[in-house]
Amino acid sequence: MREPTFLILTALADGPRHGYGILQEVETVSKGQVRLLPGTLYTALDRLAAEGLVAHERDERVDGRLRRYYRLTPDGLAALDAEAARLHQLATAARARLRAYRPATG
Amino acid sequence: MTRYRWLLRAYPRAYRSARGEELVGVLLDAAPAGRPIRVAANLVRHGLRARLGRPASRSVVTWAALTAVICGLFSAAAATRLAWETARPMPDRAETVALLAEVAPEHSFTDIQVAPALFTFYSQKVTRGDLPMILFPDGGEYEQGAGTANAYGAPPMPVTEAVTRAEERLRDSGWRVYPRLADGYESCTGKYCTDMVTITTVSVEARRGDTILGVTTTDPLIEPGWPYLTVTLRRATPPAALPAGVAGGLLGAALAWLLFGWASRRSEGRDGPTICLGVTLLLWWGPTALALPAMVSHHRGEPHPSWHPFWEWLAQPALSFLAVAGALSALLGLGLAMRRPGDTLRYASPGRALRG
Repeated sequence: MREPTFLILTALADGPRHGYGILQEVETVSKGQVRLLPGTLYTALDRLAAEGLVAHERDERVDGRLRRYYRLTPDGLAALDAEAARLHQLATAARARLRAYRPATG
Repeated sequence: MTRYRWLLRAYPRAYRSARGEELVGVLLDAAPAGRPIRVAANLVRHGLRARLGRPASRSVVTWAALTAVICGLFSAAAATRLAWETARPMPDRAETVALLAEVAPEHSFTDIQVAPALFTFYSQKVTRGDLPMILFPDGGEYEQGAGTANAYGAPPMPVTEAVTRAEERLRDSGWRVYPRLADGYESCTGKYCTDMVTITTVSVEARRGDTILGVTTTDPLIEPGWPYLTVTLRRATPPAALPAGVAGGLLGAALAWLLFGWASRRSEGRDGPTICLGVTLLLWWGPTALALPAMVSHHRGEPHPSWHPFWEWLAQPALSFLAVAGALSALLGLGLAMRRPGDTLRYASPGRALRG
């Protein structure tokens, strides 16, 4: 799973968000390291929708602008959970080796 | 907003209808200061991806790129052929005789053939009636026209000296002379072909303006009817060929991407159009993948005052029957894609549930 995909699923993990809300949450989760552009976001959303990992939730109109909300599906939640576990396992292994290599800084 | 709506034209119409307002809203909310070019490039890139449909597919972009590139190459070849129409006609007899007097005045040329056209089929002017034969099986006989002049009998000097003098005269007359090429092959002589002899040909080419002149000597002459010296004349690729090829190639590639996307969106989940595409790409890329590196190697292996016409780099029209078969397969695939009209977009937008 690519990083932008993981971050989009993460952004939706705590509830439905609209497109701009997803962009903001991705930037927050990544502490400013990842700033998705709208074109990238919507290609990812289309792919995730085709794979059944996200779905349309509802529409709202705010100040005349259409806000379309997306949510994680149960399959999306499972995929995010599996990927988070995989990355956690890899990060844990890396940390363990770093502590063994540099015990004073571990 | 107008700028964003203009950029959204990179997306297909149905996508703009379903998602355009939403996308514009996000663009306005997220309008980053000082990054308009990056946003625009991102929209165009992903709009072109959206045109391919099949959002869950990771291979569709590769197939689209292969299609666009090969169509671009064929379009470039067609454009360069059109550009050849800007070249001067082949040297006529008077010009040929004048050049022979300039380059090789010591030799008597008794057999002067003026090329009938810039491109010939079996050395003759191409007629409509030749097209079926050019398509199959004699496409390789469609080639650049070349005027020839042959000198027979006993040469007035050793043939190596003849080549050296010709090179000197060419340089003195303002021609750019390219390195000589020498080639040899074994042949037999005698009544019962019992004696073996090595026949050596020495060639030198030169270019002045849009004219390419070649001088070839053969030694020894084992047949009385062989010329000991041959001079050839042809035209160089006209300057318009490069810009025409680039423009034609880019236009062809862009149109191919759009047409591929149209067919891809309409035919998702069906095998017929996909099979046709596979057959087409095999028939088009197969000869090209063999011819391109062979041509590169050929051009690097010997001096070329002017490169071979671009379509020869694609094995055309020598293997044009494969290109035609590929085109028929492509038309069949497009026809099959047309059979089921309607929106096959698989996007998570309201009112359009995911289609399985």
